[in-house]
Amino acid sequence: MAAMNRPSVRLGVRAAALAAVLASFAAAPVRAEDLKLGMVVPVTGAAAESGRFAQWGAQLAAEEVNAAGGVLGRKLVLVTEDDQTSNPGGVAAFNRLASDASIVAFLGSIRSTQTQAMDPDVRRVAKPVFFGGTDPELTRSGDPWLFRCRPNDAYSAKVIAAFGVGELKLKKWAVVYSTDAFGSNGHKHLVEELKAAGAEVVTEQGYANQATDFTPVVLAIKGSPADVIGSYFTFEQDLGIFARQLRQLGVRTPWVGSPSIVATTALRLSGPALFGTYGIADFNADSSPEARAFADAYKAAHKAGADNFSSWTYDAVKLAARAINTAKSTDPKAVREAILAIRDYKGVEGTYNFDANGDGLHGYNIVKNDNGKVVFIKHIEFAP
Amino acid sequence: MTVLLQLLFQGVGIGAVYALVALGFVLIYRATNVVNFAQGQFAVVGAYGMVVTTADLGLPYWVGILITLAVMALFGALFNLSVYYPLRNRSFLPVVISTIGASIFITNIILGVYGPEPSMLAPMLDAPGISLGNLFLDAQYLTIIAVTLALVALQYLFFEHTLLGKRMQAVSQDKEMASLLGIKVGWMIMLTFIYSAMLGGIAGILVAPILFVSVGLGGQIALKAFAATIIGGFGDVPGAIVGGIAIGVIETFGAYYISVPYKDAFAFIVLFAFLLLRPQGLFGEKVSQKA
Repeated sequence: MAAMNRPSVRLGVRAAALAAVLASFAAAPVRAEDLKLGMVVPVTGAAAESGRFAQWGAQLAAEEVNAAGGVLGRKLVLVTEDDQTSNPGGVAAFNRLASDASIVAFLGSIRSTQTQAMDPDVRRVAKPVFFGGTDPELTRSGDPWLFRCRPNDAYSAKVIAAFGVGELKLKKWAVVYSTDAFGSNGHKHLVEELKAAGAEVVTEQGYANQATDFTPVVLAIKGSPADVIGSYFTFEQDLGIFARQLRQLGVRTPWVGSPSIVATTALRLSGPALFGTYGIADFNADSSPEARAFADAYKAAHKAGADNFSSWTYDAVKLAARAINTAKSTDPKAVREAILAIRDYKGVEGTYNFDANGDGLHGYNIVKNDNGKVVFIKHIEFAP
Repeated sequence: MTVLLQLLFQGVGIGAVYALVALGFVLIYRATNVVNFAQGQFAVVGAYGMVVTTADLGLPYWVGILITLAVMALFGALFNLSVYYPLRNRSFLPVVISTIGASIFITNIILGVYGPEPSMLAPMLDAPGISLGNLFLDAQYLTIIAVTLALVALQYLFFEHTLLGKRMQAVSQDKEMASLLGIKVGWMIMLTFIYSAMLGGIAGILVAPILFVSVGLGGQIALKAFAATIIGGFGDVPGAIVGGIAIGVIETFGAYYISVPYKDAFAFIVLFAFLLLRPQGLFGEKVSQKA
C-alpha cells in the first residue's frame, strides 16, 4: 500500500487505467444485438480509485457470463457513466444512461446518499437498478425497482450484538459512534439490539467526524464498567486516533466494530492498536468457495485483493444475467419478478434471497484482526 | 485527579498546535492587516513535506525536517509573491479572497497527487511516552509542548532583541513611518510570510504523527486557531499562544464533563462570548478607527 502512495506510482497507475479505458473503446464496440447493462460509477473525484475496483468486478462477471453463453444468447456488455463521486453527478450519469432505451438494467452506487438522490429518476425510468448503499431506509421507501446487493445496516447492528453477546458472552457494552447519519443510525440500532439480547449499555459516546482527540471518550470508557466496545466509525482516520489513544491509556477490552475497523486504510494507519479486535465485513474471501474463487480470479486479472467495492458489482451483474435468463425476456416487469424470485443464489457477498423490499442479503461475516491479518471467523445469517 | 491531569495534558498538547497556527495568523495580520485563510494549508504542506522526504524518499527524520522547513520558507516566499504582493495596494477584501482561493488551490493540488486516503508519519521520538501511574504522557504531545515553548522564547528574543526583529515590528505598527525611516517594507513582509509558512509547517510536522496526514488536516486546526487569535486579541502574539492553549483545554474538559459530540462547539461558544463581551480579546486594546 505504501508504494501506491508514491506520486510516480500513482501517476503510472492512472496512465495505465486511462490506456485501458481507451483500449476498451477500440477493442469492444457495442453492437446493436448486444445486451446492455448501464453502470453508474465514479471515474473522477474522491472515490475514483474504488470506482475502478467496481468496474473490474463487474467486468469479470460479464466475461464469465459471456463465456457461459451470454444472456438470452446475446453478448452482455457494460455501458458506464461517471458519477464524479457526487450526488448531482450520480443523477446526471443515471439519466444519461437511461436515455438509451436499449439498456435493460442498471448498476447504481455503493453510496447511500447517491442512491437516495437517484431514487426519483429510478422510479420514473422503471427498470431494475442494483445498488450497494447500506442505509436500511432505501429499500423501505416503496421504490419497486431498487435491489440491494449488500446487507443493510439493520443487519450490521444485529450481527455485532449477536456475536458480542451470544459468542463472546460479554454483557456490559460501551458504544462509540460517529454522530453523522451512518453512525447515529448504527448507534440507534445497536443499542436496541443489545438491549433485546439482554446486554446492558453502560456508556454511549458519540463524536463529531474529523476529531482531533479522543481522550475524553477513552477516559469515559475507562471509568465505566464496560467489558466490551461496539463501534460505528465512519472514517478510518478517526478510528486510528481513537485506537491509538485507547491502547495508550491502557484499555484492553474486546472490541467489535462496524466494517471500517477492517478496512485496508484502518489496518495501515492503526497497526498493532487494532490487533485482536473483531469486525464485521460483507465481503471476505474465506467466507465461501464462491468468494474464494472470485478473489483468486480478481487477483489473477488485476494483481489486487478483492474487496466489497468489486464484490457487489460482480454479484449484481451475475444476478441481472440470471434474472433476465430466467424471465426469458428483457421486459422490466418480468425481470423484476425474476429477481424477487431468486432463492439461495450463492454470490460472493453471501447467499441471495430477495425479500419483498428488494434486499438480497441478510447477514454479515465476523472477522478478526489477527496481528494485522483479517481472518474469517463465521457468517451470521438472519431470516429475510 | 489522574483524569483531571490527563485531560489537562491532552488539552495543553493540542492547544499548543492551535497556538502555533494562530501565531502564523497573527504575524501575517500584523504585517499586512489581512487574515490569511490559507494558514491551515501551510500545516498540510509541511506534513506532506515530511511524508515525501521520510516515507517516500526514506531520508532520516531530521533531514526530512530540514528539507521540509526549507521548502516551507520557499513556499512562504512564493505565496507572498503570488497571493499577496500583486494585491498589496488593494483593500482588505480582494486579498482575503485571494488567500481563500490559494487555500482551495493548494488543497486540490495535494488531492490530485495524493488522493483522499490519509498517509502516515512516524512520531518524532521512538519511545511511545511516559507512564506515571495511571497518567500517560504521549511522547509526541510532549514534543509539541516543548517545541512550542522553545519557539515562543526564540520569537520573543528575535522581535525584542534584534534589529531585524524590531524592523519587522516597526513595519507591522506603521508601514509609512517605517518606510520613511528607510526600512524596506516589502522585504519585511516577505520575511513575515516566510516565517509564518515555516511556523505553519512546524505545526503540520508536529501534529502529523497524531492526526495522520490528509488534506483535511489544515481545516481542522485552522478554524480553532482562528478562534484562538480572536480570544487572544487579534494581532497580539502572547494572546495567540494563551488563546490557543485555552481553546485546547476548554474543549477537552468540555468534551469530558459536558458532551463529546459538542466538543467543537465549546471553542466557538467561548469565541461568541468574547465577541459579545470583550471583542478586543484577552490582550487586545480597544482601537478606535484610525483617522
